Amino acid sequence: MKMLGSRRVGASQVVRPKSTIFWILRWAAILATLAFFSFPTVWLLSISFKPPIEWMAFPPTLVPRNPTFDNYVVLFRPELPKGTAGAMLRVTEPVTKSFVNSFIIVPVATFISVVCGFLAAYAVTRFRVGGAFMPFFVLTTRMFPPAAFAVPLLLYYRWLRLIDTPIGLIVIYAGFTLAFSLWMTKGFIEGVPRHVEEAAILDGASPWRVLFTITLPLVKGGLAATTLFVFILNWTEFLYALIFTSTRSITVPVQLSHYVGAVGRFYGPQAALGVVASIPVVALGYMIQKYLVTGFSFGLLKR
Amino acid sequence: MVCFHGDEGALMIKEKGKFKRATSSIGSIANLLNRESVFKIMLVTPMQLLLSFLLVPPFAIVIYLALVNWQPIFGSWTEAPFVGVSNFVRLFSDRQFFWALARTVVIVAISVSFQFILGMALALLFNREFHGKKVCVSVILYPMMLPWVVVGFIFYLLFLDHGPVNYVISSVFGPGATVSWFSSSVTALVAIILADIWQWTPFMFLMSYSALGAVPKELREAAMTLGANLWQIFRYVTFPTIKPVVLIALIIRALECFKIFDLIFIMTRGGPGVSTESMSLYIYRMGFRYGQLSFAAAVAIVVLVAISLVARIGVRPLLKEEL
Repeated sequence: MKMLGSRRVGASQVVRPKSTIFWILRWAAILATLAFFSFPTVWLLSISFKPPIEWMAFPPTLVPRNPTFDNYVVLFRPELPKGTAGAMLRVTEPVTKSFVNSFIIVPVATFISVVCGFLAAYAVTRFRVGGAFMPFFVLTTRMFPPAAFAVPLLLYYRWLRLIDTPIGLIVIYAGFTLAFSLWMTKGFIEGVPRHVEEAAILDGASPWRVLFTITLPLVKGGLAATTLFVFILNWTEFLYALIFTSTRSITVPVQLSHYVGAVGRFYGPQAALGVVASIPVVALGYMIQKYLVTGFSFGLLKR
Repeated sequence: MVCFHGDEGALMIKEKGKFKRATSSIGSIANLLNRESVFKIMLVTPMQLLLSFLLVPPFAIVIYLALVNWQPIFGSWTEAPFVGVSNFVRLFSDRQFFWALARTVVIVAISVSFQFILGMALALLFNREFHGKKVCVSVILYPMMLPWVVVGFIFYLLFLDHGPVNYVISSVFGPGATVSWFSSSVTALVAIILADIWQWTPFMFLMSYSALGAVPKELREAAMTLGANLWQIFRYVTFPTIKPVVLIALIIRALECFKIFDLIFIMTRGGPGVSTESMSLYIYRMGFRYGQLSFAAAVAIVVLVAISLVARIGVRPLLKEEL
């Protein structure tokens, strides 16, 4: 099938043999690229379906010999699996708590971040509030290594009694993704022609009315993309969660690092958790694929 | 209730009594909120509240901490002895600090340049229509959406002693050639850098790819008519056009890569010993594992100042046209 298809395309596009060689090289390069980027994740999937005896087997096999769902089951019901797997897996705690925490902390922080970022971006674009300094300053907060910032934050949070609370993480996440919210929405607001707003103002609409009934609907798509992007960032954040939570409000990435246990490493469940933790963000990522450039470049580049 | 706005409001209060008075003060509050100066302030207030809450006290604390000698086991941090700059003196005579710094710079240099070269090459490869291109692009893009911890764990699995990488090595070069990747610093760093390259080449690809899409075809065709070869077209036509975009991408990636923590934490925890420790892990170990928060605060200040300088020199000029 594949050969047939390829020959047809090759024949219709090129005549000279030299180009055919190029064509083969191109496809070899493309296939190698695809293999390079997909193999590691395929391996993760493979481990996540393997029973304990195959985790360390040598030679390793790509397709599990005795595929099992135990690794996934044990994440949510640690008491369930019996036999060889069960004995080894029973020590672990259920991941439900970390998922609940992540699903509370991340959306709330994302919402706060995007609302604050959007309002500020509107002020910056339309009224030049804070001049050139403010947006740059906000951007700088994103460049600081979190580890450096966590040092004073630890004492501050201890004093405020915010350590190991969802509110503590929500504030951190909202604050340190503001840079993305502000810069991304700024780009979208700049895309709204000014005269649309000015016309409404001439008609006697108040500035709030203009903001919420004229501008907001026009940047709705951009705001949605920003929200999902910030959600991804918050969902994957690890360092702050590691330092500022201990038992009650751990998030999914911290839970993942917990499987590195003293009783030996639980590769299978850890891989299963990796798969489960990645699914929401990768799905969201594909939803906003055309905005990823904008997102990762702080809105400096638009497609 | 105080009436802020205009004479009409005040007049109404006199004439119409209580009911009108209430509505008119609501009306004048609305008037107040709608004034441009007030409107502007209210727009930025949420952000400023959030940022001041999160940034101002910690900045004060970090400076205080760096000037005193305090660890959590010493008790109350408000009564710590003042030691001046001795934390900074100790920092600049600490070999591990400079090693961590050098290691981080090396990681950034190697992995960002590989990401740049690979990303650019891939972008050129994909800068032409072919069947299934959309699917291929999607397959390339997903690594950068994965959580860093998951990427770290995946590469930990790949480079295990009994993992697939060693399997490939042993079946090509024989069983004696396998490498115990995480037991020496150089090989562990190779694994870490590979993980970073794997995750972030898609970013450089995406940036270069979308920039290439915006290069006008006529330019390249004109160069081709004038007899330029492929390399010349890339060097003198395509690259200059996409250079600003690529520059921004490089700087963003370098700054993000400098913060590298999750990958190393999951893969090696900085080990063996401290030989794969990045700057972030060094601060983490000093501050949160050893509890030397004063010393960690000094390191944090040095790093924050350095990053701010880099940002000012390297990033601000790029943003000039944006603002």
